Amino acid sequence: MKASCKWLRELGGLDASADEMAARLTRAGIEVEAIERFGRGLDRVVIAEVRAKRAHPSRDKLTLVTVFDGKGTREIVCGAPNVPAPGARVVLVEVGATLPGGLAIEAREVAGVRSEGMLASEKELGIGPDHEGILVLGDDELGKPGTPIVAALDLEDEVLHLSLTPNRADCQGHLGVARELAALFGKPFAPRLTLLPSKLLSVLPEAPLGTRALPVIESGNGHSGETASLVAPVEGVPMTVPIRIPAADRCARYVGTVLQRVAMAPSPFWLRYRLHVLGQRSIDRVVDVTNLVLLELGHPIHAFDLDRLDGHRIDVRLARAGERIALLDGTERTLTEDDLVIADARGPVALAGVMGGSESAVRASTRNVLLEVAWFDPRSVRRTSRRHGIHTESSHRFERGVDPAGVALAQRRAASLLTTLADAVCAPIGVDAEARRIAHATVSLEPDYVRAAIGDPSITDTDARTILEGLGCAISPGEHSGWRVTVPTHRPDLTRAIDLVEEVARVRGYDRVPTLLLRPEPRPDAGPSRALLVRQVRRAALAAGHHEAVNFTFLSAADLSRARVSTDAVALANPLSEERSVMRTSLVPGLLANVSRAERHQRPRGRIFEIGRRYLPSAGPTGAEERLTLSLVAFGTRDEWLGEGPSVDFYDGKGAVERIFDALGLSAAAHVADALPGWLHPRRAAEVRLAGTPIGHVGEIHPDVADAHALATRPILAELDLALVLDALAARGPRQVRALPRFGAVVRDLAIVLADDVTLARVEALVRETGAPLVEDVQLFDLYRGKPIADGQKSFALRITYRDADATLTDARVDEAHGRILARAASELGAQLRG
Amino acid sequence: MTDAVQEFEAGLARLGGDVTATFEACADEQALRAANAKLVGPSGELTGLLKLMPKLPGDRRKELGQRANQVKQAIQTAFDARLAAIARALREAELSGPRIDVSLPGRAVRPGGQHPITKTIEELLDVFASLGFEISESREIELAEYNFGRLGFPPDHPATDMQDSFFVKGRTGTQVGGGGDEAVVLRTHATAIQVHEMLARKPPMAVVAAGTVYRRDDDATHSPMFHQIDGFLVDKNVSFAHLKGVLTTFLKRTFGAEVPVRFRPSYFPFVEPGGELDIGCTFCRPWVGAGSDAQRARTDACRTCKQTGWIEVLGCGSIHPVVFESCGVDPAEWSGFAWGMGIDRIAMLRHGIRDIRMLYDNDIRFLDQL
Repeated sequence: MKASCKWLRELGGLDASADEMAARLTRAGIEVEAIERFGRGLDRVVIAEVRAKRAHPSRDKLTLVTVFDGKGTREIVCGAPNVPAPGARVVLVEVGATLPGGLAIEAREVAGVRSEGMLASEKELGIGPDHEGILVLGDDELGKPGTPIVAALDLEDEVLHLSLTPNRADCQGHLGVARELAALFGKPFAPRLTLLPSKLLSVLPEAPLGTRALPVIESGNGHSGETASLVAPVEGVPMTVPIRIPAADRCARYVGTVLQRVAMAPSPFWLRYRLHVLGQRSIDRVVDVTNLVLLELGHPIHAFDLDRLDGHRIDVRLARAGERIALLDGTERTLTEDDLVIADARGPVALAGVMGGSESAVRASTRNVLLEVAWFDPRSVRRTSRRHGIHTESSHRFERGVDPAGVALAQRRAASLLTTLADAVCAPIGVDAEARRIAHATVSLEPDYVRAAIGDPSITDTDARTILEGLGCAISPGEHSGWRVTVPTHRPDLTRAIDLVEEVARVRGYDRVPTLLLRPEPRPDAGPSRALLVRQVRRAALAAGHHEAVNFTFLSAADLSRARVSTDAVALANPLSEERSVMRTSLVPGLLANVSRAERHQRPRGRIFEIGRRYLPSAGPTGAEERLTLSLVAFGTRDEWLGEGPSVDFYDGKGAVERIFDALGLSAAAHVADALPGWLHPRRAAEVRLAGTPIGHVGEIHPDVADAHALATRPILAELDLALVLDALAARGPRQVRALPRFGAVVRDLAIVLADDVTLARVEALVRETGAPLVEDVQLFDLYRGKPIADGQKSFALRITYRDADATLTDARVDEAHGRILARAASELGAQLRG
Repeated sequence: MTDAVQEFEAGLARLGGDVTATFEACADEQALRAANAKLVGPSGELTGLLKLMPKLPGDRRKELGQRANQVKQAIQTAFDARLAAIARALREAELSGPRIDVSLPGRAVRPGGQHPITKTIEELLDVFASLGFEISESREIELAEYNFGRLGFPPDHPATDMQDSFFVKGRTGTQVGGGGDEAVVLRTHATAIQVHEMLARKPPMAVVAAGTVYRRDDDATHSPMFHQIDGFLVDKNVSFAHLKGVLTTFLKRTFGAEVPVRFRPSYFPFVEPGGELDIGCTFCRPWVGAGSDAQRARTDACRTCKQTGWIEVLGCGSIHPVVFESCGVDPAEWSGFAWGMGIDRIAMLRHGIRDIRMLYDNDIRFLDQL
């Protein structure tokens, strides 16, 4: 919401500067995000009177205008189509001035004629939207030739950009902000508003049956020295319109007031300017008045062309399914039975509280008006606004809650403005249909509770009372020592004692709340936090050389199928786009996107990991199971000391997994698996098991998946479920150590030639089993394929460590064991000693 | 007989000559060993001489033997000295020789870079843990009831709308969204941790949780997925002043004791009174030389705080009685406070990241810098 400081000062009688207001409001929870200043940078821009005009000697579109600037006359070359006749006043930008847009004005020749300045449009001056022609002042505007326009047109103003929290519906108009400011500055608040209509119909009509009359002049509150003139009603135009509210739960009150003989014309400059600084466009006098009242009181109102209301009646009812309405924004909408409408005898003429219909809208030909001032249910307006995607100044305010007690004020204020500005004649009464009354809320409050909840014993009863009364609350004695607080209807957010506590704390200022510390009581059975266990995994992955990624958890169904991960996914009902419409079932698609991005940016090598959740459909309460997962990718070439080595392969991925689990003090191992996920190469991947239980997979990407991502490399991927890992980490005790050996070891190498399909695991198992208990360790230190070894065969070079824990080993014992191993390898694995 | 004695004595005299000079003439260890072998090696002179021993007369044998031993020892001593000198010279040459190129790259496994989001979360959680809060977590796919209803959001609050929050499709394929409590949403804040913890156990409790949250915004400054830390404390006689004390301490520990903190009212459905805490802009640092022209120029040019000198960091408040009531905790007995803070912007501030998209693109050139 934007608030003009000048307007606030006019309404509340406050003399604070814009900066003071902004600081105080922000401190009280009404955040001022920006202060926009108007009427600056218009030095040497003055009012001038047109004395003469003549055609330019050579250019059709230019006019030579002689103006008087208070001191003398000068001739200006003007390109505008609307140069007025002599006697009218225009705005002259003197030579030497610089306009807010940066345009510097110099004396210069235009098509051979010297121009001593410039006549400006509103837009060029930054004081309005009009750029069709130069600004011509109306007769009712003040300012003699030579007067600077800032003074003459009262242009100086500051506009506060308020960021209102949704609970502060009362500050959606200048009146509410002025009231809040008065309370914050500790000043009494008596709004200064002219409420007297200047012209009334000379006949007093009666309200139709079932409704009451709401007089436009408040009885017993005459304005001294001001009178309204009486005008005869127009023949055939009703003075009242019957109003019915069948949808009583949606509309608490509806007041319709007839104004006759309106003069449709452009608004005077001050009104246009006021709308301009608040970011609104001037339309015509009637619409501008309704907008002005909305901005002033925060209460949206509407004006219908009375002569276009079929049957001259108003029904506030729910729409019938399929009913249609053409709206002011040029669209046509099909309504549902949940939409509240204002209808005439024929059908809907407005979407209640949201937008008027185009059929019934005021226009240049409008002569008589029905003014609507109503209170619509916030939820009803909100639903309709959202359903049709129409967000207006009106719906915005009704959704948050308009003061139900402000209806009469809005009616009178609008009647007064329409009679003065649009020359309308107001019926003496409006028809007041009140479906239900919204009562003042009362709240019980103990002053001690205020002190305890804020934690400030220094707040006195008087402090609290002064603040609450300043905000419009009425306080009477309640039970015991407590208060019975009656809350004003413009503060529907105050419903409980704690709400009043906040008001006291807020108006005093949170900077005055004391600062106390407290120490939460530690819980002995809290156990290790999962977050801290996850951190250990993260440290290990980082230490193994992987960068950490945080990818979006939602992606497209196509991303899932492209990566060949499960497509049985949790889907969003209202995604922002198809690209982010399902929850990931694997972290692999995200990492592949990271690899693809790296390749596109000429960085086709690296290692990345992510720790995050996968979301799998389940039968649980939310329909989803969230599985914490660690995924890794290595791609491109391996690091060498200088330069790059060969491309990473399966063993880099396996090594990364081993490194991570080593660092965690857990042992995970890769095992051959027949069933592998679709994203892995069927021949170059393994299952990872933790203490025998499968927790995920590691391996080379399936070449088809790499192709589907247009990858130049074959990344090595791993995806591991962390649930079991975290359990194991939590259960893992400190590392246990063995005694150091007392006797020396004997190391023997064994080079054998085997068929290609004999795995190291088989060889190693055979060595350990056969050489037991002397074999302490077996390491493969060379793997060779190629000449002179026959095709389909390979050579393993093993280094076997023999040790007897209890005695010094003799060569004879080692020879015997070594020989036995070789013999068994030969017989069982077909191994031959490599020559 | 005499010949043998003469030959022996002559040999000893030859060998007892200037061995040192002979050895000095050897430039390296190899030459030295060769020279030594000529004297005492298997076919060396002294070895040959000692082969004469049996031929020596018995009365001279002992004396001549001792002399031969002395000569042998002298050779050994001279050899050892020369060997040490050669080794030393080599070592000196190494130590004063050409330097290696220390600018060649080191040989190491480089650790990876930690993502700014998780790094920031870890550090902030550590501060809360040091203040006595337990670290917990809860689900991201959440019942609307927990995300909104039990937290006191009115049924038609804009956040409960399809416009602002992501709803999950029902298992039958139809949409469950639309605001009812039975709907399932991607959590819009981490605040539901309050509901989970309060339903699970009895106060007192002090819990903090970090995680991924989701809102239907996507523009230059908003990402539809982002991160938050939420925490709360419930105990007896907890006041708004405690909230101010604990959170101010947290902010000072996190951003520096010298950074000013501003506390102002705000509104969230699940707290009352509600507020926001701002810190002095850590980019233009308006408290340094406050009021000076230089400071004002810095702040006026600051894009981080949009020239205000302040950065909003967290929303907070006393826990609303409605939340206690909906979680089966008696608000007459227990009181508490809660807060939530966005992580992404703090991470961006700390790492000098200007564009929020960098956080989630995971460009390797970005990760390389971390």
